[in-house]
Amino acid sequence: MTTPQAGQLLELRDLRTHFYTQDGTVRAVDGVTFEIRDGQTLGVVGESGCGKSITAMSVLRLIERPGRVVGGQVLLRGKDLMEYSDTEMRDVRGNQISMIFQEPMTSLNPVYTCGDQIAEAVELHEAVNRRQAWARAVEMLAQVGIPEPARRAKQFPHQMSGGMRQRVMIAMALSTNPELLIADEPTTALDVTIQAQILELMKALRERNKMAIMLITHDLGVIAEMADEVVVMYGGKVMERADAMTIFERPHNPYTKGLLASIPRLGEKRERLEVIQGVVPNPLNLPTGCLFKRRCPYAMPVCDTAPPVRQVAPGHVSRCWLTPAGEPPRIGEDAPPELAEESAQELTVMAR
Amino acid sequence: MDRTEPVDRPIGTTTVAGGRDAEDEVDLIPIRTYWQLARQRFIQHRLAVIALFTLLVLVSIAIVVPTFTGLEYRLTDLTERNAGPTLTAPLGHDELGVNLFVRLAKATQTSLIIGGAAVMIIVGIGTFVGSIAGYAGGWVDNLLMRLVDIVLSLPVLFIILMIVSFFGGGDVRVIIIAIGITGWTLAARLIRAEFLALRGADFVQAAKALGAGHRRIITRHILPSAMAPLVVAAALGVADSVVTEAALSFLGFGISATEASLGTMLNKFSIYFYSAPERILYPSLVLVLIVLSASFLGDGIRDALDPRQRIASK
Repeated sequence: MTTPQAGQLLELRDLRTHFYTQDGTVRAVDGVTFEIRDGQTLGVVGESGCGKSITAMSVLRLIERPGRVVGGQVLLRGKDLMEYSDTEMRDVRGNQISMIFQEPMTSLNPVYTCGDQIAEAVELHEAVNRRQAWARAVEMLAQVGIPEPARRAKQFPHQMSGGMRQRVMIAMALSTNPELLIADEPTTALDVTIQAQILELMKALRERNKMAIMLITHDLGVIAEMADEVVVMYGGKVMERADAMTIFERPHNPYTKGLLASIPRLGEKRERLEVIQGVVPNPLNLPTGCLFKRRCPYAMPVCDTAPPVRQVAPGHVSRCWLTPAGEPPRIGEDAPPELAEESAQELTVMAR
Repeated sequence: MDRTEPVDRPIGTTTVAGGRDAEDEVDLIPIRTYWQLARQRFIQHRLAVIALFTLLVLVSIAIVVPTFTGLEYRLTDLTERNAGPTLTAPLGHDELGVNLFVRLAKATQTSLIIGGAAVMIIVGIGTFVGSIAGYAGGWVDNLLMRLVDIVLSLPVLFIILMIVSFFGGGDVRVIIIAIGITGWTLAARLIRAEFLALRGADFVQAAKALGAGHRRIITRHILPSAMAPLVVAAALGVADSVVTEAALSFLGFGISATEASLGTMLNKFSIYFYSAPERILYPSLVLVLIVLSASFLGDGIRDALDPRQRIASK
């Protein structure tokens, strides 16, 4: 075990989560490595099925059959969560790490009032009585901007709108003052004005509670709004990682470039919106070498070999054969064949 | 409270459209508690209300008449042999001069006690087995459901007869237990199905992510949502138990012939099928009323307990 660096909250090292289905093994998360520091917002982006959500569920150890975390470490303040007992893990969930989900319509229990559900979250982790827990629930509802919190606490989820319910979910997740909030597409199911409000709320609460956020989304607009650092995932692997500014202004990886090119922009006249050609490869039958090669405009013969994870600039890494300058590698120099899959350890080192 | 009055706005809400979710303005429904809503939904279920009323009448007759009127259900009075209805004996007397109304009331009491007690065993075992099977899934589920299959494959009446004759017939407790331990399979299956469906529900995932343990998730998060099939299972259980008891007693393997039960009455009076059919009619009618009321009441309660059911607007 290594001692955690100051301010380092969560570190994923070579995390691998596989699903053993009847048709074969799906490597949903395949060697993901990144870290989150205190108070930092890390955006995790990627298309559907790239392993974003599974990564989050793996962190909380909520993967169910036929899935299993088969390797790697999840270090919370330097301690590996994978070695925790179930009881210890329950105490981490909702206490140190909380999670909010994509679907506010179905993530609240329909048979309890909103206040009850927040109070329960408080009772699970703190030695409080029912009355204190309820008071905290009302206070949390006020904090997430719900008008008339005392009245609203007595309402059932079905009596609230989607935006309200997501606020209730956030109140639940934050009621125990977690150090890390995992937000799995928190705004995807909401309409645009409500999205903006929820993001604004999350930002404000982040400042106030000094917590870190792992923000999972496929919406680059949300990333631009919220994230300090960005991890771009594809096929269960991290394709590129850099601070948000770099990702948007100087992306290195062709996949990231493709994602950025497919955002429609106001005031820009284009005949057609650019899209990334092709579809996400079948996870049961991944190509050898680079997972993105079949859709990549830069694809080269060397891409049949798994690409290395290279440091493009300090704090900026990319999984691609292109040189840091963005040019094809010269065989024998930039791309010795034995350079294939680099260890995840190295990825961590490079990022620092 | 006036909804347009500016509320003390906390952080993070002052950005868009004055900070209020515009869509929430729609929600002006006065807040009623869960039980208020449930009662309202129940009252709208007319058959259930009638069923509840019928059951209440049956229960109060079954309690009051044998206990508080001073009339004796075993008393034979040969001067009253086959006598017609009177004020204290509205259903007349049988061939030994027993007051049939009192006897019927006592029989109803016996049947209801057996039905109620047996259904507790049925629901208890059924919920326990069903929730564990549905929640755990995998081999646990397989094992428990094969156990259910085994119990289902046994000829129930034969097993009950065996238990009753082995542990002493005529004992009400033995009959209750015999009915209970053979009748829980339907309840287990219904509960299991509900747990299977809800196990992966988003709100269960959310509860897990908040750090709730298995027992808490089963009892607090899934079981309340599984109330509907539970109530149905209980209603069917009551009806089934009452009928089974009647069948047992009719066959002479239930409670002893001197005690009153709907089954023993049917057995005893079957010989009067042509001469005095009303003597069979009365216990049969009570049996039908209990069974029908139980299932209609179950229906009504199930609908009332579901918070997603809308209150019908008048």
